[in-house]
Amino acid sequence: MFTQLRLEFLKLFRSRSLWFSFAAVSVFVVLMLWGFYSYAERQAGPGATAQFKYTYESKSYFNGLTFALYSLMFSFSLLIPIFVAMVAGSQIAGERQTGTLRMICTRPVSRVSLVLAKFLAVSCYTWTLIAFFIGLNLLVGLLFVGWGDLQIYPGALNLVDEPGKLLRDEALWRFVCASFTGAGALLVIAAIAMLFSVICRNAANATVGTLALYVTFLVIGRVEFFEQLRPYFFTTDMDFWRDVFKPDIPWTSFQHYASICGAYIFGTLALAITIFQRRDITS
Amino acid sequence: MWARIILLSLCVLMIASAIHFDPARQRSLLLARPAEGPHLKLMTWNIGYAEMEDDSRAHTKDLQMVAQTILRNDPDAVALQELTGPDQLKALLGYLKGKYGGAVATPGSADRVEAVLVKSQNDRKASFERVAAGERFFVAAEFQSQSKAPQIVFVSAHADAFSSARRRVFTGDVVDWSHTQPNNALVFIAGDFNFELRSTDDSHLYSDNVKNDSEAYSYLLKYFRDLGRDASDTAVNDRRIDYVFGPTEAVFLRKADVLRGTGAEQMDHWPVIVEIALEKE
Repeated sequence: MFTQLRLEFLKLFRSRSLWFSFAAVSVFVVLMLWGFYSYAERQAGPGATAQFKYTYESKSYFNGLTFALYSLMFSFSLLIPIFVAMVAGSQIAGERQTGTLRMICTRPVSRVSLVLAKFLAVSCYTWTLIAFFIGLNLLVGLLFVGWGDLQIYPGALNLVDEPGKLLRDEALWRFVCASFTGAGALLVIAAIAMLFSVICRNAANATVGTLALYVTFLVIGRVEFFEQLRPYFFTTDMDFWRDVFKPDIPWTSFQHYASICGAYIFGTLALAITIFQRRDITS
Repeated sequence: MWARIILLSLCVLMIASAIHFDPARQRSLLLARPAEGPHLKLMTWNIGYAEMEDDSRAHTKDLQMVAQTILRNDPDAVALQELTGPDQLKALLGYLKGKYGGAVATPGSADRVEAVLVKSQNDRKASFERVAAGERFFVAAEFQSQSKAPQIVFVSAHADAFSSARRRVFTGDVVDWSHTQPNNALVFIAGDFNFELRSTDDSHLYSDNVKNDSEAYSYLLKYFRDLGRDASDTAVNDRRIDYVFGPTEAVFLRKADVLRGTGAEQMDHWPVIVEIALEKE
């Protein structure tokens, strides 16, 4: 298992998609910085009419932590899931497409440990990507925007029901926690992508299938017609990761939704393993 | 085989954990906070009709039913919105059989007004004030619920339904007006504020509408407490847009309820009732 895990890490490290994802999120941070700077200048700079004087235009609102939080929130729903689905979707289907899966399966390695090793490698990749993204945002925020406390208001970002504030050091810890909760939530997408990877014959189909499912639920969940269905979508449960940014973390709700995501991950993986074990590998 | 059994066991464990950590349970524990001291019951209700009706203001034929609801729940003060004018207030007070006194706000250019009702007491009389805020008006009542209890100022307000910018200006003016009240008075602001703020709905991340409502609500919460926050939605389409704001200190929330299903079929709001205990002097 450990040898298998080492090989999977090595393959992942050498893949272009890994480095492409890191480059893409870095470009996104630069774009966010440009947008944040110009917006802050427009809204709070000299000559601007103070409309939101108690909240969004107070002098202490725009700082590096706010920047990192907005950047993370905006990217989490659509940008980062693309890369997670891309890497996870290519795990088995990619091997099948290149013709190496048959060869791997002829070696004395069980199919279960193959899937689990690949999923563990994807899990590590997911955490590394999100930790890198958070770290980069905080670094850029510190260098270009400056430090301060993290102020959160109801409405925008939809995090809290009443205004709240996290002191700088506490907020930094919350970002560290967010790297784990965020990775945990994204593992639902990774597990679904692994399932598609086992089912599909090529990596592109597995990735597109996963993203189609994710985006469909994400969009339908936001349309008011389907409000009654929203609680049943995994995309709704994945939102638990944001709870760590609430001044008072709602632990019961956090554990409830985290458990549902855990059930999705383990259930989907069990299904993927079952299908993979029964599959006749002909290519 | 073993791997599948372990994964399925973990899946079952997670489902059991999700059932055990039911977020609804935590909520009900936080809802009531009993306390001793004089009690005060406040109600707010937009008695207008839904937008799709020909006339979305309150209808005189419903006033008897509105009065019955008020009498059944016996609040100390009531904030009503979307009355057509003083005639409807007069009719309503008639149905209330002299148990309440009240006043309507100045109509201004609007076709509907807010009203405030205060339970009549033999020895204590309520006084009413009509105030301008933004482009609209609101009405406030000053009264004492019981002898030796602190002076209560109760506002009935209705913020613009269509412009978040106007809602922000109106709310700011109401809050600023509350600062002009005597220090020993307990100010409560009730009414339909039309704020679109939901922490569970992540469909809007950053827009001026959200910012306007967030600014207005945050400004209110700088000085007041949202007493009905743990109650359910107050209007159709799962919206919580009717509020009762009270002082952050000196009052304890005992109960916050939304009387769902109350009112005429065409009404799109339900009454919100908040019961509080006042701190003993």
